[in-house]
Amino acid sequence: MAHILEMQVQSKWNNSFTRLNRGEPGIAGLLSFSQAWKTATGFLYPRDLNDPAPRPEYSIHEVRTSFELLSKAKMLPLLMENFLEDMRKQQHLIERDIHKYMAEYEETDTPDAIARMLFRLVEWYKAWSPIPELGSILLSAYTLAFQTHIYSTFPPSFSRGFKQLIASTFSLVNASCPPPWALPADPQPSTSAAPARPDLPLWSACEALGLLDRYESLIASVCYEYIEAHVMETCAKKWEESMLTYLREWMAEKVVPWMVMPYARGARTAEEARQMLQGVGSRFDYHVCKTLCDLRLQEIFDIIVDFPDSQPALEDLKECLIRVDQRSELVRTLRKANKKRLLHPGADTQVILNQYVSIMRCLRFLDPPGVLLYKVADPIRKYLRERPDTIRCIVANLVGDGESEDSIVDENEPIQPLQQRQADDYNDPNWEPEPIDAGPDFRTNKPTDVISTLVSIYDSKDLFVKELQVLLAQRLLAVTDGNYEKERRNIEILKIRFGEAALQVCEVMLRDMTDSRRIDQHVQAQKPMPLHPTIISRHFWPPLQTSSFNMPGQFKEIQDAYAKEFHQFKPDKKLHWLPHLGTISLDIELQDRTVSAEVPPLEAAIIEHFSTKDTWGVADLATEMKIERAAALKAIMTWVDLGVLKEEDSGMYKLLEVAEAASSSSKPVARPVIEDLPSVLTVQQQQAEQMKVFWKFIEGMLTNLGALSLVRIQNMLKFAPGYDRTIDQLAEFMEAARREGLVTVKDGAWKLQR
Amino acid sequence: MEMEEKEKDNETTRPSNARLEVCDQRVKIKKWHAIAQWRWDTGNNDPEDDGEGDVCGICRVPFEGCCPSCKMPGDDCPLIWGECTHVFHMHCLLQWIGTASSKQQCPMDRRPWVTAERKVD
Repeated sequence: MAHILEMQVQSKWNNSFTRLNRGEPGIAGLLSFSQAWKTATGFLYPRDLNDPAPRPEYSIHEVRTSFELLSKAKMLPLLMENFLEDMRKQQHLIERDIHKYMAEYEETDTPDAIARMLFRLVEWYKAWSPIPELGSILLSAYTLAFQTHIYSTFPPSFSRGFKQLIASTFSLVNASCPPPWALPADPQPSTSAAPARPDLPLWSACEALGLLDRYESLIASVCYEYIEAHVMETCAKKWEESMLTYLREWMAEKVVPWMVMPYARGARTAEEARQMLQGVGSRFDYHVCKTLCDLRLQEIFDIIVDFPDSQPALEDLKECLIRVDQRSELVRTLRKANKKRLLHPGADTQVILNQYVSIMRCLRFLDPPGVLLYKVADPIRKYLRERPDTIRCIVANLVGDGESEDSIVDENEPIQPLQQRQADDYNDPNWEPEPIDAGPDFRTNKPTDVISTLVSIYDSKDLFVKELQVLLAQRLLAVTDGNYEKERRNIEILKIRFGEAALQVCEVMLRDMTDSRRIDQHVQAQKPMPLHPTIISRHFWPPLQTSSFNMPGQFKEIQDAYAKEFHQFKPDKKLHWLPHLGTISLDIELQDRTVSAEVPPLEAAIIEHFSTKDTWGVADLATEMKIERAAALKAIMTWVDLGVLKEEDSGMYKLLEVAEAASSSSKPVARPVIEDLPSVLTVQQQQAEQMKVFWKFIEGMLTNLGALSLVRIQNMLKFAPGYDRTIDQLAEFMEAARREGLVTVKDGAWKLQR
Repeated sequence: MEMEEKEKDNETTRPSNARLEVCDQRVKIKKWHAIAQWRWDTGNNDPEDDGEGDVCGICRVPFEGCCPSCKMPGDDCPLIWGECTHVFHMHCLLQWIGTASSKQQCPMDRRPWVTAERKVD
């Protein structure tokens, strides 16, 4: 057994010897091998660059022969191992350098130290590198070992510094002066035809050290950040011009030349470079779009506010949205902004409407099918529906209030009938399916005009017509000069929108105006009078405020006289005055002065009373005129302000025949006193009036049946004619009644308060 | 007769105005824009009548409204007075009279319809 083992060792040894000795006589072969090994290892030995001792010279011929010999003896793998082992032992030299430069970097925080370190590392790399003639295997093994080593030696702060360094190269693209870290003893032959880029050596160094591959994402991120910073700097709040074109030019001018270095340094021709840059270039172009898109999305609310001045920004955004799918982000951002900035009690309804209209226009532009608009508009519409004055506001816009410059109705938009949502027409050859991100409840809404969209916030247009009637009544009653052509024109326009039938009532109102004028002309011809009434057809006007007082003295005379003339002109009709409505322009002639004023009838009636008796108590006056004390006092105050009346004792007022000097005359005498008390009941007031009727029903119900739940009350009220309230409205009403102490509620059952 | 009455009326009002002007020198009305409603003079002179008012017995629409076939109230849709003192929208009554089953009777009291010359006053 031992014998066999010995035999085996023997033969192995013989084999090795034969291989190393290569069949030469004696051990000559062995000796020459030993010599060659020594030369080769000595040649490859990694030396200390900082060692001032001169590097031993080797003739290239000798080295090559040695390697051939070793190769023949199949000892190259062993040599390589030996070399790498030597390298490992010498690594501390490089480490020392790295630490030195990194310490410098940490201290100064400028990337110069990093750059110098890279150049130094390249020197190390070159110094230790075996000559290429020795075969690519050796070279690549060396490179791998070298790079592995330096990567493991880099401290964590290296990537930060490297990033800074890369970032600093952007400024070098078109720079003429060399960077601070440029080496005067540049080993690269930079005397080629084209002027060498100052950052070329750096990139070569990076490539030599394999940094480009290892830090590829870092380099890209530097570029991304560069783009982002530039976009933020140049494009923020700049909506009046298209920035995308500019950004692309900027990319071509600044970024692409830079990209040539990290991504297409090997290119020999421009065409080749272009091809090499194509992939990475489109990635950066995407990033430009993405950044701009993100920026614009952040600003979207203000862009919409600025619309149409911000049209170019929207064009940019539209193009970006095609490249970058950020539609859902747009919806999310805009909804959030709307919620935060628009849909709160602090915002005027008019403002909300204006913004809504702008949103409509903008989103229609971005996305013609309207999916985005549908998603964004939904909360706005819901919110508007809950606002009490939305309809009034829309109607005011419809008839062109003239108050606000930017009416929501586009003058250029053709006036057309309200459009109803239509079902899909599958016979339409241009039919397109719903967009992919349309929700299940999305209805294809064809681009409709603004008014139709606004009116469709509500389920029926009746509310609009009602509100319109109130508005029209308010305006017509305020017309004193007989000029209501504007209203007539408005009604004509609205007829187109709402249909003739819906506006029949308004038609009657307008005709009342014309008739009143004609009647007045006739009456004045018979008997000139200062009174010019507007005679209206009740049932066709919204309910007007009622009052029970009567005009005194000469006013009453004039009214009666006019009514008489009217009756003679229209024998089968008579006049019923609404004494508290209208305005009277009058002169009060006092001993030392004449006061002119334009006042509501109540004020005129008060002063008329004072002309029969100099001093009145508020309470007496109120009783005399059958009005409330507060109303009387308010009217008196008007005259006190004008310096016509003066409070003597508490509640006693006296006519000032002679103007009082200081206190009262300091007041502006000619102050126009126009009561803006709305003479027409608003829709809400009308509803409240109506509710009074239903209260009678409720009262009866609760009397007869005892305590009832809200649902029961609601169900029973449904039998009442004209009852159209929701249970929520009823609940609100009952709650109001409870506050007034009319009812109590216990366990959800309402009963009358006894 | 009527003319005379009118003149008489004017005569009675004018002196009263003059009298007022004397004692009411203080307040001079320059211009007065007032609001009034017209009513049919149906003889129902309830001044407190602010409600819906009387309705036509045929269409149940207030007199000051208009009959179902009209759009404009007032002179375009006048009333008609019968000698039986019943009042209707003229269009409503004429349509009623036009039907065979009406037998030319007032729909309220079934007396033969006779249109009053003038309104009952």
